[in-house]
Amino acid sequence: MRTCLSEAVAPSVWKSSRRVLERCGVDVKVPRAQTCCSQPAWTAGHPDQARAVARHTIVVFSGPEEVVVPSGSCAGMVVHGYPEMFKGQPEEEAALDLARRTIELTQFLAKHDLDPGRGSRGPVTMHDSCHMLRVMDESQSPREALAKAGCEVREMQHTDRCCGFGGVFAINFPELSGRLGEEKARAAIESGAREVVSCDLGCLMHIVGVAHRQGIPLRARHVAEVLDR
Amino acid sequence: MSTRKRRGDGGVAYLDVQGTLRERTVDALRDRTLRGNLDSATTSWGESRDAMRSDYGLDEMRERAREIRRSNIRNLPALLSEMQAKVREAGGTVVRAVDGAEACRYITGLAQARGVKVVAKSKSMATEEIKLNEALEDARIEVVETDLGEWILQLASEHPSHIIAPAVHLNREQVAALFREEAGTDDVPDDREGLVAHARVRLREKFAEAGIGVSGVNLGVASTGTVCVLENEGNARLVTSQPRIHVAVMGMERVVADWDEAAHILQVLPMAAIGQDAANYVNLITGPRRDGEADGPEEFHLVIIDGGRGALRGTEFEEALSCIRCGACLYSCPMWRSVGGQAYGSPYSGPIGAVITPLLEGPSSPASRDLPFMSSLCGACGEACPVGIPLQDLLVRARARSSSPATRKSGMAFRAWSRLWRRPSTYRAWMAGWRLMLRARGKDGWATDLPGPGAGWTQVRDMPTRWPPRR
Amino acid sequence: MSTASSGDPLVDLLMASLTRRKATGQVVSGEHAGREAARWMADAGVARAVLASDPVVDAIGLPDALRREGIDVIMWPTGLGKREAMGLEGPIDVCGVTVPALAVAERGTVVLEASEGHGRGLDVTSRHHVALLPTDRIVRTLGEALALTFADGRPAPSAVSLVSGPSRSSDIEKISTLGAHGALTEHVVIIR
Repeated sequence: MRTCLSEAVAPSVWKSSRRVLERCGVDVKVPRAQTCCSQPAWTAGHPDQARAVARHTIVVFSGPEEVVVPSGSCAGMVVHGYPEMFKGQPEEEAALDLARRTIELTQFLAKHDLDPGRGSRGPVTMHDSCHMLRVMDESQSPREALAKAGCEVREMQHTDRCCGFGGVFAINFPELSGRLGEEKARAAIESGAREVVSCDLGCLMHIVGVAHRQGIPLRARHVAEVLDR
Repeated sequence: MSTRKRRGDGGVAYLDVQGTLRERTVDALRDRTLRGNLDSATTSWGESRDAMRSDYGLDEMRERAREIRRSNIRNLPALLSEMQAKVREAGGTVVRAVDGAEACRYITGLAQARGVKVVAKSKSMATEEIKLNEALEDARIEVVETDLGEWILQLASEHPSHIIAPAVHLNREQVAALFREEAGTDDVPDDREGLVAHARVRLREKFAEAGIGVSGVNLGVASTGTVCVLENEGNARLVTSQPRIHVAVMGMERVVADWDEAAHILQVLPMAAIGQDAANYVNLITGPRRDGEADGPEEFHLVIIDGGRGALRGTEFEEALSCIRCGACLYSCPMWRSVGGQAYGSPYSGPIGAVITPLLEGPSSPASRDLPFMSSLCGACGEACPVGIPLQDLLVRARARSSSPATRKSGMAFRAWSRLWRRPSTYRAWMAGWRLMLRARGKDGWATDLPGPGAGWTQVRDMPTRWPPRR
Repeated sequence: MSTASSGDPLVDLLMASLTRRKATGQVVSGEHAGREAARWMADAGVARAVLASDPVVDAIGLPDALRREGIDVIMWPTGLGKREAMGLEGPIDVCGVTVPALAVAERGTVVLEASEGHGRGLDVTSRHHVALLPTDRIVRTLGEALALTFADGRPAPSAVSLVSGPSRSSDIEKISTLGAHGALTEHVVIIR
């Protein structure tokens, strides 16, 4: 899954993901017709609009393969959100099937014990997105992947605190969102690393966007890009 | 950030709330004192909470607690019938109030019929919800909050900012000033212990004077008709033992079946709320004093409030009724931690407040339009909840139920979005247009001023137009 | 206060829990209990003791022991007016003496039951609280204590108070301060 955010703002993320998987010997298909997991509409409280787009996604990814997503947030939407979204709907079976096959990128690497080889050396600091941490219940797999790639990770304080992105929340309550982002950006810099890395592009855009506005010298990359060096 | 209380009727909201929710959050973010107090409060809670998990197995206890509360809600009508019967058997009176207005009428009527001039209260969110203080004051009855934090807020004419620690946003200097004003003298100590000792004496006068003591109920136990009132200070014990009449106000969902369940919940509640394995005082009250007893109220009245709760059973929001009002979700919430409880404009703040306030007030209320959206859906609340309520999921469902000009506008935007993004060709066209716009707006790899909904983004942060982002 | 092990694990657990809850305790034999309890109160500056009317109080000879220390003794029910009962008039250094029905070792909790001889406000209206606790009333868990207190067939007492330490408030600057409303001290005399 490319993810709409990657297509809109950072195509290098999905392209790096594909390269990383191919380096591990995985046969990767990137369906041309894919669009979006529909999370923006779902979390904004418009379930019917979300379903219409999600139906298309279910069809596009209907094969038997595992579906790898460079985003804890989008993976979480499919794995955790689709069962609720399609409960009692005609597509329920297909939705549950897709949910069973969907997995985040670093989780996929860990699950199949894959090693993409040397990546960037770092040091970087790791931001655990809320969806990765709580919906996918995962904080180990990205760190494992970075360690295998020889990348040094310096942990920041309160890695389990939300960065304040939250999808539409960032636009509806910008001041509050920005304040949380600033706290996260400062915590990141205080780790001693100059670059923040995450499995979620939305968080990174927000953190680095706040950092840039506030003059905090923080760089950012997606974990796929760090592995793809 | 003091707000003046005005009288009002109906609904759950504080009617004296100023501005929009967003404006209130902006005000709160500017308040450094508030921020400092919230930070230290939530940090110490977090530390205690970690100790509960590692030393007391809180995580395992959550599972059972969740099952108990869900079964309570499924069996609610039977449990309430049993509770009612047992309280009556013990010599108490039970009133099932459909809404807050009915509850206030009953309690005010009782006070007037008994010639009561002073009512002493211990902390109760339910009485805030039904605006009992206002109703009594309208009937010229003096109401005194005896919980130290609530009394402080009463002096400051403010609303509580947290379920468990209502004055957490005020510091020692602010409190001393309020005490001086109340006592009409400057001769009030400055140190924490002195302030507490001062309050002790002032409030004991009220306990001696009060004709009715009003308490909340943390938990009702149906098998014996017992109400459980937890506290640390001892004021609830005085409120429920000294005045001649005790009125206990209970939300209808706060019932467990028996003492096996009660024991479990009574252990989990203080762990989640204050990070300790016990509250100092747990008062288990069954009806009025018995014949031959020399103290204790002669009358016991249990007022059970529906207020919209019953209607949630059998809906997608039913799990919200499992709540035991511990406040853990507040302390764990990045929003609450940043702006405090008063910004929510409801007696119930934090994630649980953002879910139930709109449900109790109705889908077209201002709270419904705003509260469920003031969340990044981070899920820390659901993780912290000792009875396993999936609050982040309930927030999304609450958003779907909300109905206002703003949400209708958002609905129209997403209808357009949906039409474009369900087909690859229109999706790709949209993407191409977006990327062009971003390139055009970007300077040195950053856009500082986006149009339309993007303006909310660029108000407080830049948008990277290249990735990885340029320095 | 004895810090050495008493040889009874439940008693030791209770003592540790009491300390944790900022209460104090001591383990004494029945024959010394009255004298020890009276001495504790004298050391604490108690001027008047309000005693539950309970066989344990008489069994350890507490009323006489208190009088020997010069402490004024009143039995429950006191007949005092409300203001004096609350400490607004009369001596301030009053101690309420209770006899718990049970104690919960792992929580440091004493279980007080209201009855004709035992006022429900005994432990909170006074400045000090002393509990006289025979060791055979100690159970380990809250669940056990509640199951016994509210056992089938046993009428529920009008008021059961689970007391775990002296009164506390964290309402000023989120820092725990003792003595907001209830007793400032709690001392448990564990009687073998």
